Amino acid sequence: MHEISIVRNVFETLQETYPDKFERITKVQIEAGLLSNIQPILIQNAFEALIVEEPALAEIELEVILLPIIAHCDACDRDFEVKRHKFVCGCGTPSKNIVQGEELQISRIEFLENQL
Amino acid sequence: MSTPSIPKSNRMPVGAVQCDNTTLNLLKANDFVAKAIRDRLPEVLVINVCSSPGSGKTTLMQETARRLSDKLNMAVLVGDPETDRDAVRMKEVGINALQIVTGGMCHIEAQMILQALDHIDLTGVDLLFIENVGNLVCPAAFDLGEDIRVTVLAATEGDDKPKKYPRMFLTSELMVVSKADLLPYVPFLVEAVTQDAREVNPTIEVMTISSLKGEGMDEWCDWLLAKVAEKKAKLATA
Repeated sequence: MHEISIVRNVFETLQETYPDKFERITKVQIEAGLLSNIQPILIQNAFEALIVEEPALAEIELEVILLPIIAHCDACDRDFEVKRHKFVCGCGTPSKNIVQGEELQISRIEFLENQL
Repeated sequence: MSTPSIPKSNRMPVGAVQCDNTTLNLLKANDFVAKAIRDRLPEVLVINVCSSPGSGKTTLMQETARRLSDKLNMAVLVGDPETDRDAVRMKEVGINALQIVTGGMCHIEAQMILQALDHIDLTGVDLLFIENVGNLVCPAAFDLGEDIRVTVLAATEGDDKPKKYPRMFLTSELMVVSKADLLPYVPFLVEAVTQDAREVNPTIEVMTISSLKGEGMDEWCDWLLAKVAEKKAKLATA
């Protein structure tokens, strides 16, 4: 979906959160749950398109990590991976108590150390 | 600007690198505005109606307003990429409706709702529908400050949709199977779509309706009246 606005959002968020260190960012890692409907390759394309507008971002590496969907089964009191969007535990109990899979967040940022 | 000839990941950074592990939510701005909408409408039940294009959302709004006109006061914010056709259709039958033209965007964001609230008179309104842009993908990710999300799925769309668009059905409280009058003519089984939807969302309610022929409309209207009463009761005890 709307990958361009997501990528823009990434850099606006970083600019807001790290006004002093933004220029020194070398790598940004994004975590996207499978339920966020994010396609990593489209994020990369959108990023390349944004660089044309904002060449200063060209030195930054962007990594997108997809997170599987994990739900919690109350009957077994354990987490299970939701495969093929079937929100049913191995024991047969349905659950939509989602522990992981809806994220869309910046998870890690690397900066160059301040050079004196 | 120099064009890098090797992948960025293969380039050695100059100088030491410092890392920061974080959780900066990228939909934070939308969720913040969604909360502002909830705070602003404590007395109004807000229902976000999502579906594919052409599933019959606007017709359902028209028929709902007609049936509930003496029981509650209803308004509709309707989103489309272009034109005000849907708002015009609703105003023609006397509905307090306002068009949100998203300018090509595939979904409504909370900010658009917040701005629209300044242009619609909600005095005495009990029930506000947000008729989302026809799309089962993107709208699922955007909280619009609604109390309830409802997904409409037309019998003509096929009974295999919930698993294809899991997040939409996962975040909906109710799935309305519309155009039920066409069920005898299309390969669509209500039992199959119900099973598919419940594998994604075990608690989703399912209702089968035909806005044009009236089937299931009493159940739908009673459900709405009960939800409006529930919200008012919650406000009274708060």
